[in-house]
Amino acid sequence: MLSIKNLHASVEGKEILKGINLEIKAGEVHAIMGPNGSGKSTLSQVLAGNDAFEVTSGEVTLNGDNLLDLETEERAREGIFLAFQYPVEIPGVSNLQFLRTAVNAMRKHRGEEEMNAAEFMKLAKEVSKQVDLDPAFLKRGVNEGFSGGEKKRNEIMQALLLQPKLAILDETDSGLDIDALKVVSDGVNALRSEDRAILMVTHYQRLLNHIVPDYVHVLAGGKIIKSGGRELALELEEKGYGWLGIKDEDTSN
Amino acid sequence: MKSVPTLSSAFLHPAGQSLPEPLLALRKQRASALVDMPLPTRKTENWKYSSKYLKLADDMAISLPAEGKGGNSLAVPGYKVVFNNGVMIPEASEYPDLNGIIIQSFSDLDEDDAKAVSLQLGSTLDHDQAQFARVNGARFEDGLFIRLAPGAVLDQPLFVIHETTADASGSAYPRIYVEAGANSQMTLVEEYISSGDASALVNTVTEFNLADGANITSIRLNMEGENVQHIGATGVLQQRSSRFESHCVGFGGPLRRHDLQVRLEGEGAETKLNGVVVTQGKQHYDNHTSIDHVAAHCNSEETYRNIAADQSHAIFNGRIHIHQDAQKSNADMNNKNLLLSNGAEIDTKPELEIYADDVKCAHGATIGQLDETSVFYLVSRGIGRRQANVLLTMAFINELVQQIPVEAVRETAQARLNDFFEQTFQEA
Repeated sequence: MLSIKNLHASVEGKEILKGINLEIKAGEVHAIMGPNGSGKSTLSQVLAGNDAFEVTSGEVTLNGDNLLDLETEERAREGIFLAFQYPVEIPGVSNLQFLRTAVNAMRKHRGEEEMNAAEFMKLAKEVSKQVDLDPAFLKRGVNEGFSGGEKKRNEIMQALLLQPKLAILDETDSGLDIDALKVVSDGVNALRSEDRAILMVTHYQRLLNHIVPDYVHVLAGGKIIKSGGRELALELEEKGYGWLGIKDEDTSN
Repeated sequence: MKSVPTLSSAFLHPAGQSLPEPLLALRKQRASALVDMPLPTRKTENWKYSSKYLKLADDMAISLPAEGKGGNSLAVPGYKVVFNNGVMIPEASEYPDLNGIIIQSFSDLDEDDAKAVSLQLGSTLDHDQAQFARVNGARFEDGLFIRLAPGAVLDQPLFVIHETTADASGSAYPRIYVEAGANSQMTLVEEYISSGDASALVNTVTEFNLADGANITSIRLNMEGENVQHIGATGVLQQRSSRFESHCVGFGGPLRRHDLQVRLEGEGAETKLNGVVVTQGKQHYDNHTSIDHVAAHCNSEETYRNIAADQSHAIFNGRIHIHQDAQKSNADMNNKNLLLSNGAEIDTKPELEIYADDVKCAHGATIGQLDETSVFYLVSRGIGRRQANVLLTMAFINELVQQIPVEAVRETAQARLNDFFEQTFQEA
């Protein structure tokens, strides 16, 4: 499904990704782990099409099509979804209006009829229950005044509504207490399917206790330095990033 | 030394003579005081950003003839008074004869009422700050007089449609005077529209005199065409425990100026001023507001938003003056501005003068562009870039549009906003 070959990317002239290679097939769940500053978030942003990051070489294809040629909204319509580490607050646009506009943009792209307000409200209420968000949140501004956990649940709600081919979860576990982590993980597990891939980007392995990956990759210095099965995550948990010769302030003490 | 330009004497001669004698006399007296009235230049503080947009040719001094028919068949959800080129068109107006409520054109006032009105016209305004209200005083051909008896309540909004028909160059001088008795209530909607394409000046004055406990909502929609220069002034006097609420929605033009002056003269008076301005192309819009807290225990809350696209220019000047005896005043002023292009300009200036020591006074002004992070968030969900821009721009003013208490006005404003979005944001 997703194929990344020798991807280099920089921000403000500084190279962050220094040759990433990764193959993800439909139905698979991959986890990318790594210390702060290793390029995890950059990779997520580059895949989603944030033009603050410049791709300097390499290629990325989604089901054979060149992803890097597509605008951000076109990537989304082709099935890329990024759950943001820091979801943006947009006062003045209601969550409901935002979600419906997004869902209808996707439906239009697929040649389906757009959903009217009543139909969408019904769907949105069901999905908000699935992520344990009070439907009252639908009427508030996008993420406006939401707690960290509520924002993350709102991200998962969007994934459930948009039904992407590839869901990229950027530090989705950060800032969550154990109950919220369970809700979010259940949401992500509900996304797992034969024809969908999930890419989790995370510093810690605790999320992986709830969403069990098929593959784990360690990113350091802008490259994947080690790949393995789920046992790699446990090994990292036990031994820390230092075990792989990586400096990491958060895990070294 | 270069001489200061003055208003051409051509502008001192009103045409219509159909007003009752006391108003004709007033007009004549005001015209004589206008000889050699200096025109604003960039050195005139309250016109420094706008004087370059003011272009008064002599042929615009001619009073535009009022079209006898009501050119406008606009259906409104309420009562309707239609003015064409500053003169009321009774055939196009629809309002009931209600107990305790007088709605009358100046021309129809009897001698006594005309005399009473002539003594009050202009009393709500500081003419040094709203210079052009003087010109209106010398030129008005007609006007709308509204008197609400104590306790009278107008049960539906009154729409005053001011249409300017400019098939040839000229000017129009619409005028409204509202005398709101104690505890009376009404909603007045002023809609300024135009037809024809010759260059025209519309110079308006609207006055509200609120007795104790009166509750007035004023909505002003400025939607005239690219041939019309508009200079308007609104004066508000508020007595004890009265409440005034204003919603101004303005779309730019070659020159757009609105002075809104509120004087809180009785304790416990409250005023709320909301404003939205949208400019595009080479348009201009200048809002000057002024709130005088004269009495103690009054509240004022002011929220204005400007959106400027292309090479347009928007100006907000908000003055709050808290007088020495106005203890326990509460004043809050907020102006946010959105620039949609590098070529657009917005100037904002809060002016606070506080002479009382026990007051709460807050003000804030910001100028920014659409937030790229927010745009990225929206497009990453498949929303097109154009639509993302529209959503975020609308979000900037949505709160103010939603507060307009008349649905039909919200719809009219939204339709114009949609046109603006259509022209401003192109599909990538």
